[in-house]
Amino acid sequence: MRTFEDDPTLTDLLNDEQRSRLNQYLGGLCGQSVTLDQHRPSPDAVPVEFNLETVAWIGGGQSDEQRRAAADLVSFVMMFIGKYRLAANLHHDATEASYAELQRQNEALRASEARYRALSDQLQQKVDEQVSVIRQTQQELYESARLRSVGQLAAGVAHEINNPIGFISSNLRVAREYVRDMQALLPDNDDNRELATDFNDLLNESIDGASRIADIVSDLKTFSSIDQADYTRCDINALLTSAIHLVQTEHDHQLTIMEQLGELPSISGHPSRLSQTFFNLLDNAARAVRDKEGQSAGRILVKSQAQGDNIQVIIQDNGCGIPEAHRPKVFDAFYTSRPVGEGTGLGLTVARDTARAHGGRLQLNSREHTGTRVLLTLPINEGR
Amino acid sequence: MPDFSPEDNKLALKVVFYGPALSGKTTNLMQLHSLLNPERMGELMVLETRDDRTLFFDMLPLGLRGQSGLDLRLKLYTVPGQVQHDSTRKAVLSRADGVVFVADSQTNQQDNNAIAFGNLEENLEKVGLDIETLPMVVQFNKRDLSGVVAETDLQDCWAETPWSPLIMASALQGDGVLETFRTLLDRLYTTVDDEFGLADKHSISRQAFVDRLSHASHEGALHADL
Repeated sequence: MRTFEDDPTLTDLLNDEQRSRLNQYLGGLCGQSVTLDQHRPSPDAVPVEFNLETVAWIGGGQSDEQRRAAADLVSFVMMFIGKYRLAANLHHDATEASYAELQRQNEALRASEARYRALSDQLQQKVDEQVSVIRQTQQELYESARLRSVGQLAAGVAHEINNPIGFISSNLRVAREYVRDMQALLPDNDDNRELATDFNDLLNESIDGASRIADIVSDLKTFSSIDQADYTRCDINALLTSAIHLVQTEHDHQLTIMEQLGELPSISGHPSRLSQTFFNLLDNAARAVRDKEGQSAGRILVKSQAQGDNIQVIIQDNGCGIPEAHRPKVFDAFYTSRPVGEGTGLGLTVARDTARAHGGRLQLNSREHTGTRVLLTLPINEGR
Repeated sequence: MPDFSPEDNKLALKVVFYGPALSGKTTNLMQLHSLLNPERMGELMVLETRDDRTLFFDMLPLGLRGQSGLDLRLKLYTVPGQVQHDSTRKAVLSRADGVVFVADSQTNQQDNNAIAFGNLEENLEKVGLDIETLPMVVQFNKRDLSGVVAETDLQDCWAETPWSPLIMASALQGDGVLETFRTLLDRLYTTVDDEFGLADKHSISRQAFVDRLSHASHEGALHADL
């Protein structure tokens, strides 16, 4: 590659037209034709030097003196042409180098811009993720506050009902004794016997009813656990049992629920959240086993067992199952396949978060038209 | 890197006078032009200047012939010292075989010396040369002025570098210019001889190389009316 400092040749310094004009002028000066050429035109030609380099020869003219004078003149002119050439070439070289440097910097800037763009995209994605987490947490908070107030209300109502139902129940039993006493005092005829039997039956049914009210009240109290601290020792089987009772009440005692509750140690937990979780899972199962007419057609199995360091709770139904397309979304907050007003879309979300809050996990297996099996694993811990 | 063309048996060497603006690089070259009378010397080319400041560069070609017929050329260049001409400096510096760093002795110019030296180091690296191995001489010019840093201070300061001892000069008076040039030729000979066998193949000894290229004319130095 040529650089600006390479020694120039005659053709670099003068083009053919310029050279022939120079020849003409020199010829005019000498009174005889003169030849300036890169190659030695004749043995008596005189060299023309430029930067110690013989760049051309002068031939012709009338004498050696003339040729020497012409060579000096050409050398002198060459120096100015050469200076211009050198400066121009250097300028060209320097500009090219600067341009190449600019291009390198441009390239580097481009690369760095791409890096920052990727980083910015990543940041945006992270922000979006965080926003969605915050939104979900907010919704769950709202939901749990709602559940808590509903629980408080239920517990309050239960407490208020407890006293009257106590004396109603006790009074009814006393009244039954009085009926028996009164029967002995009345004349023994068919009418009186029938009246007494009917009265007795009425009282028995009322006692039954009062006792059922007492049971529901007790379940409500367990379920809402309003009188308990956040984390306490929980008897999982007791929580399961009251959740089962509540679900039965909710579904008019139409459900076929098989209980296989094994021996369990008590664990540290949040009873009302666990109760809510069990209720949600059972309610899902109850809705899954309903047939087209809304009648309960299937069976629900509730099983609990201690397995190594964990307690396992299995709630299984042979109902409609979850279609494959819905399965990835079932844990998403507000995802529901139920008609408007029937589900919040929070049941499984709350259940999974409760499992995680207890250091456990929730697994869901389902096949459409076959059923659903939910496995809740909770660690057996030594209190917290 | 020396440029050798075997077909012409021609070896071209390049020495660059580098340094801060107004340190006297062109004056060094002009003094060499008038002080030297080597076997072959071309015209001193002073390319465009503005207000006596170099815009492109100056160039002085020297030459000698070895007994083997070796056509040895030595081109001396200066660079523009002003900061804004960095790309020109880089272009002139590329493929240099030796460097004369012309520093300004005045006390208030020491920062500029350091900046220019840093710039030299940086540009050498950019054109693929290593300041540690490149033959180089450091000259402190303008000793004739008052308000210059004392020589002992300068020599002490540079004592641990490969460029010690420094050469003191007053280029305008012609003092130290030849000494600088001869010192550089001496250092240059070492690297060129290693690569091209100047002594073995071309019968050019160190003494002959230095003497023949720096043969002084009898007219003496130019003086301040340059």
